[in-house]
This record gives sequence, structure tokens and C-alpha cells, in this order.
Amino acid sequence: MLQITLRYLPIGSDVAFLQIKQTEVEGIKLYLPIFYIHVYSAIFVLLAGFTQFNKTLLNKHPKLHRKLGYLYVVVVLLFAAPSGLFIGFFANGGLIAKTAFSILAVLWFWFTLKAVLLAKKQQFKSHYNFMLRSFALTCSAITLRLWKVILVYLFHPAPMDVYQIIAWLGWIPNLLLVEWMIRKKYLNLK
Amino acid sequence: MDDQKEILKPQMNKMKNLVIAFLSILTLASCNSNDKKTEKSAVDSTATVNTTYDHALGMWVGDFVAEEYREGSYSENKLSLVIKSIDKDKVIGRSVVVGNDRPLQGTLTDSGNKIIFVLDEPGDQKYDGRFEFELRNDTLVGTWKSYNQEINVTKRSFKLLKKVFAYNPNLMLDKNGDYTDRQSSKVKTVTDTIDGQAETFEDEYYRSASKAVFTINSSTQELKESDLKNLRKLDLQILRNTIFARHGYSFKKKTYRQFFDRADWYIPVSNDVNGTLTALEKKNIKLLERFEKYAEDNYDSFGR
Repeated sequence: MLQITLRYLPIGSDVAFLQIKQTEVEGIKLYLPIFYIHVYSAIFVLLAGFTQFNKTLLNKHPKLHRKLGYLYVVVVLLFAAPSGLFIGFFANGGLIAKTAFSILAVLWFWFTLKAVLLAKKQQFKSHYNFMLRSFALTCSAITLRLWKVILVYLFHPAPMDVYQIIAWLGWIPNLLLVEWMIRKKYLNLK
Repeated sequence: MDDQKEILKPQMNKMKNLVIAFLSILTLASCNSNDKKTEKSAVDSTATVNTTYDHALGMWVGDFVAEEYREGSYSENKLSLVIKSIDKDKVIGRSVVVGNDRPLQGTLTDSGNKIIFVLDEPGDQKYDGRFEFELRNDTLVGTWKSYNQEINVTKRSFKLLKKVFAYNPNLMLDKNGDYTDRQSSKVKTVTDTIDGQAETFEDEYYRSASKAVFTINSSTQELKESDLKNLRKLDLQILRNTIFARHGYSFKKKTYRQFFDRADWYIPVSNDVNGTLTALEKKNIKLLERFEKYAEDNYDSFGR
């Protein structure tokens, strides 16, 4: 992922993915800055998985957890999710992909917001669950690209046909997986 | 009214072609300043018995078929042979095949019932050789032999018909054509269990182009990103090279020859057509190249 992000350094208007987005780059003034906000902010929040769900770090350094948590929340709520919604609106792959990316961005925002509010209310169980959901969507950055490689290897579909599929496949299984994890935990507790 | 126009159109075109052919013969003939007779007989060629060889002048096009070749190197390419001038028994021309544009020089022997040409390529390049052919009615029939015996194909045969090259941006690849790239394949090893025994197979995969290659005209319509987004690399490559094919570019790459050699409108006339491209075509080529690069770098890799 870091490598993918580094492709966008230095900032250019026609590098990598932007090679096929010149209509938007040239037609919509805000597209390029918002695209770059998304690229650079998203890479940070991916790292949260290593720190925020780590039991030892959670129990021994709650202050650090809180600080990094705020960083995650601020980056997602102010930068990554809103920019995701914006570029999702102009996504490749037509309405099917646009809908997927927009829902993804809204859910991401909502889960993250809900999680931080629950932490404020000291409801840490629910906070944990919502952060799991939020991070499951964060990971769609990776899973979406993985699915792409798999689908292209197996079926050689046309590029935008893949895109429409991975726009959904990138995050729905992730979400189902954490819902299953949460459900299982509840059953075990009972 | 419209029907009448429809009927008239092809006739008009034929007329046009005839006039163009006629004029080009005239201009070619007038190059031979010392041959005034040529010009005269060209004017009333139908009335008099043809003692000149004007009917041999022009561009002759057809398949260039390997006859003597090393195992596995059979090939069939489109050849354009141009006979520029005939001055008594001296013949000057050029051959265009697989991106090789070579001058020709040689002689003509008229034995009354047979006109035989022997034309040589200069011999300073690896694939130079000698053309020997005769004019049979409306066809040039003959062979080519390479000077160099160390190359893959040392002898080829051909039957060529006279064609007039004219750039036409509306020409399209045939919608009934086969657009599978047989020149490059990916081999995947598949393991299967048959009767309890594991066996490995090697499956060959060929890429094939979509409908876009005969529905999108890259010479007449201004291409947008949205037109190209769902296309694979092969589609983009074919769309870009159809522009060059319309201008008579002689392709060096087998990948493209396999598609364009089959189009009967395709006549390779030059190995550099950049000067003849229209502004719209140049713009489309740029866009197509950008998408080709993106497709190559990203289609099957981790990323978008």
C-alpha cells in the first residue's frame, strides 16, 4: 500500500490512476486536491490496525491508544471519508460503482463517529465493535485491490467490469466477517 | 430520390477512381520525358494495341507467402510492389513489406506473349533479394528469393493485384473478423486429477479484442476517456493502429499485421505516416497511448 501511495509522490496531475481520470482532473477543479487528500490520508489510518487492536498496547498504554485513536478518528472523519465520498461520486464504473463507493464512505464515517462517541460515553464494548466495523472498511483499500488481482487472473474481464465488482466485493465481505466475529463473541459470552 | 443517390454513389466513386488512376498514370508516364509515345497511347489506350507497359505501372498488392523457410517460421505478409517507371527495358520501383520500404531496379523482357520482370533490391540490407515475376492479365505472378541464405525465409511467392491507395478515414475493420491475438499467448499450467492420477496440462490462452475495434472509429470521432475505460490493452492497441493502417503504414509487428493484412482495404505504402495524420488522429493517438500504458501497468497488478 505504501508503494501505491508513493506512486503519487511527487504530486502530479497525470500519474498512475490519474492517467485515466483526466476528464475529472481537467473538468472539476476540486478533484485533484481532494483525490490527493484521500491518497495521503488513507495510508495513515491503515496503520491503526497494528496499534489500536493490540491487547498489550491497549491495556498498558491507554493514553497512547487514546492519542492514536484521536488521530485515526480525525483523519477518517475530516479527511479520508469525506474525500472518499467526493471521489466516489466521480468513480469509474458507472452508477453501480459510484453507489458502492458512496455507501462505503458514508458507512465508514458513521461507524467511526459512532465508535468515538461510544468511547466518550465509556461504553467500551460497543466502542470496540464499532471500531472493528470502521477498520473493516478501512481495510477495503487492501481487499479491493486483492480481489482485483484474483478476478483478473481467473477471468480476464474488461477493466470496468472488474471495477464494478470490486467496488462492492472490496468491503461487503469485510463487514460480514467482523459482524460474524462480533456475533460469535456475544454467543460465547452468554 | 435517395435510392437514386445510393445507386449513383458507387458509380461516381468508380468514376473518381478511374480518373485518379488515369491521372496518376499520366503523371507517372510524363516523368519519362523522353517517351512521348507513352503519353499519347495512354490517352487512347483502348483504341490502339498496347505496345507500352503503362498498364504495369502503379501499385500491386497481395500476399507474400513463404515457400522456402526454416521450420516453424512460415509467414504470410502483405506486400506492396510499386512499379514507378518503365523506360524501354529499365524498370524502377519499390517494395513495401513488414515495414521495409526498399528501392527496386531491374529489367523487363517482352517475348511477345510474356512480359517478365526481374527486379533487385539493393542488397545492403539483411532481407534484400530479387523479385522475378510476370504480368498475367491483371495479375503479377512471381517469386522473391533472398540474397542471404541465413535468414528464416529464403523464398516467397506472390500474386498481386493492382490497387490505388487513397486515405479514407471511414474505413473500419470487418465486424465479422477474428480479433484473437494469435501471435502472443500466455501459458498456464493446470493440474488435474484423472483416475486418481495427477496430471499437468499446459493451457494456452490468447487475448482477444472486443467489439470496440470495429465500432469505434479512431480517425473520425473525438475519443473521450469514457469511451476507452472499459477496453483492454489489445482493443486500445488495435484502435490506435487502425489509424496508421488507414494511412497505409507498413507494420513491423506481427501483432498488428495479423489483423490488418486481412483487411482488403489495407495497403501498406510507407513505413512512416506521421506526417499525414490529422489533428484529430494525433489527439486520439495520445489518449489511446495513455490508456495503453495504464492498462499495461495496472490491469493485472495490485492497485487500480
